Formats: sequence, structure tokens, C-alpha cells
Amino acid sequence: MGPLIPNGLISFEWNSIIAIIIGIFFGFILEASGFSSSRKLAGVFYGYDFAVLKVFFTAALVSLIGLLYMDYLGYVDIGQLYVHPTYLWGAIIGGAIMGVGFVAGGFCPGTSLSAVAIGKIDAIFNVIGIMIGIFIFSELYTLFEPLYNGNFQGNITLVDSLGVNRYWFVFILTVGAIIMFALSDMIRKRVKKIFY
Amino acid sequence: MINRKLAKVLAFRYTLLAVILILLAGGLVLLPKYEKHEGINSEELLSNAISPERYISTDELADKIVSQDPSFLLIDIRDEKAFKNNSLPGAINIPLKKLLDEDSTTYLDQDEFDVILFSNTNFQADQAWILCSRLGYKNHRVLKGGLNEWFNTIINPPKPTENMPASAFELYSFRKAASMYFGVAYPEAIKKQPVVKKVIPKKVIPVKKKKKKMPEGGC
Repeated sequence: MGPLIPNGLISFEWNSIIAIIIGIFFGFILEASGFSSSRKLAGVFYGYDFAVLKVFFTAALVSLIGLLYMDYLGYVDIGQLYVHPTYLWGAIIGGAIMGVGFVAGGFCPGTSLSAVAIGKIDAIFNVIGIMIGIFIFSELYTLFEPLYNGNFQGNITLVDSLGVNRYWFVFILTVGAIIMFALSDMIRKRVKKIFY
Repeated sequence: MINRKLAKVLAFRYTLLAVILILLAGGLVLLPKYEKHEGINSEELLSNAISPERYISTDELADKIVSQDPSFLLIDIRDEKAFKNNSLPGAINIPLKKLLDEDSTTYLDQDEFDVILFSNTNFQADQAWILCSRLGYKNHRVLKGGLNEWFNTIINPPKPTENMPASAFELYSFRKAASMYFGVAYPEAIKKQPVVKKVIPKKVIPVKKKKKKMPEGGC
């Protein structure tokens, strides 16, 4: 049956409208769960709040398990879903830069925008910084291009590249994530409490 | 009282959620496995199979070969012996039993060329076509009637009788020309043309008469 738009169950024009609606809900839930606070986000790195880690990992796991069940029952063809192409060097170096920005600024790009929406000044500066970064990157694109397009791996997933059974992979990932959550709770209890 | 009970249960809420998550993920592992249907589904295969577009006529193919169309691959489905004996020019031999070999898929599963399958009749080629379409290979067609039809129409075209329409004669002359391209010799084509002596017309060189010039002015 699904995915709905590629199979013509919903016409292509609805694409942006659905994206905007989902985006509004995503922003609302980010803000409602307190992710528009840079202190909460930076807490992952200082060990006093692991909410970000838990939320995003749980979201990934729930959608992964849900999609696999729906694929099994024939509601979604998992082969038709979009898999983001992997550029290994771009992912490693871009990820490192993004991580540094995350610690320093206390926002990831999505949460910075939801913090701008509630009028946080640090978030506004963060977004301006992101824009400057984009500007510098696009001006020096010819310089960065070999890095940006380097080591292209295609639209691969971890299951493909490791060559393991995806159900076992998801099960082990889930168990690992829950152990990680428990460990992060233990770390949080040992770290000095910070009120923010 | 109710609140206290609820609070007791809720104290374990994260453990509970974790257990649910692990159970769901474990359920994925324990699900009974079944072979997933690869390639296109049967409805699509049927609609492809009944479509007349999956055949190419011998005339179309002859036209393509003669005009040196680079956009297609000819695949001979017969066995090697028959292929060595005779085949179409530029054909590649992939016997039916080797159809699913790795070397064959490089020819069959690609988007750049149209693939034209043929055998002696279109029976074996149809089998190959079904197998390939079922796997989702694109742009596959079958030579209608196979090599027998090719022989009957292109190599040895039936001469139209006099009461046939003009289009039959046109088709015949096309097929005849095509067969000549493929190396068939016609006795009437070999006949010597009578040499006609050219009569060289005498050149008439007109002598231009000088026009008398009118006297222009005086000097």
C-alpha cells in the first residue's frame, strides 16, 4: 500500500502541505518538551540531563520498529522509502563540526529555530551563525567540494553495509539503547544537580 | 487511595515502557519468516504480458538493423549450437538455461538499451521474456514469430500477387531490399543492365552577333 505519495494514494501536491503540518507539530513538541532551552540540550554533554539522547533515540527506535511491522504486514514497502545517500567524509567531518557547534551554542539546527520562535536571543544569534556558516560554505564550495562529495557510498543503510539480519539488528539496537538509557540515568544521579 | 495505587504503578513507568519496547523488537525477531515477493506483482506482469507492445515485428527489426540503430541489443535465446549455425547479425547468445547467470544479467538488466529476445519461434523467447519481466527488467521485447518468421518474411519474402493492394508491393520491395542487405542474391538483380550508348548531343555554339552600337554623343 504505502508509502502514500509515491504510490499515488495522496496526490503529489499534498507533499508540502503535509510537510508543513508535520513540521508545525515537530516544532511544537520540541518546544513543549523543553528542547528550546540550550541548557537542557547542552546537558547531554555535561551529564546532568540526557533527555535529548533518550527522546531522539526512542523516536528512531519506535519508528524503526513500527516501519518494520508495517512492512511485514504489507502496509508500507520499506524498499520504496527514501534512504539518505552517504558521503563518508562529509558525514564524519560535518558531524564533528555540528557536534562542536552543539556544545558551544547549545542548539541543534531544529531546536534553534523553535527557540527563535519563543524569542530567545541566544537562539537568534545561533541562527545568524548558522546562516553565516552556510554563506561561507557556499562561497568556498569549490574548495570544499572534494570533501563534500568524497567517498560516496550510495543510499546504504547499516543493515546493508553490515550484512546482518535487520530484525536481529533492531532487537540488539533496542536492547543496547535501553542499557544506554539506564547507564545515562546512573550518570545523571552522580553528577551534581543543576537547576535551570 | 486510587492515586496512591496509580503512583505505585507509575513509578515503574519507564521500566514498563522499556519492557514494551524490547518485547516489540523481540517480536520482530520471532515473526515467522516468509520469502518476500521479488520483482513486479502478478497484476502488473499480466498487464505487461497482454500488451501488444511487447512484440516487435520482423519488419521493424529489419528496419532497425538496416538503419544501424544503436539503441537495442539482440539476444539469441537458443542453445550455442544453433547460435553458431545461424543467427541475426550482432546478436548475443544467452541460452535459456543460462538466463539467470550473473554474466547474463549485465546484458538483460540495464536501462540503456532495448533488449530484443528471439528464438526459432517466439515460444522460448516468450518464456525468457516472462522470467525477465517478472524480475523487473525493463525494455524487453520479443521478436514476433522468431527466426522462422524472420526467414519467411525478410530472407524469403512471399511475392505479392497482382490483386493485392499497393502497400503489399511496397512491403515486398522493402523486404527484398532488406534481404539484399542481409546477403540474399536475387537473380533479377544480378542481370546485366543493357548498356545504352549515350548519344552525345552536338554542342551548338551560337555565334553572337555584334549589336550595332548606336553612336553615343560626339567627341
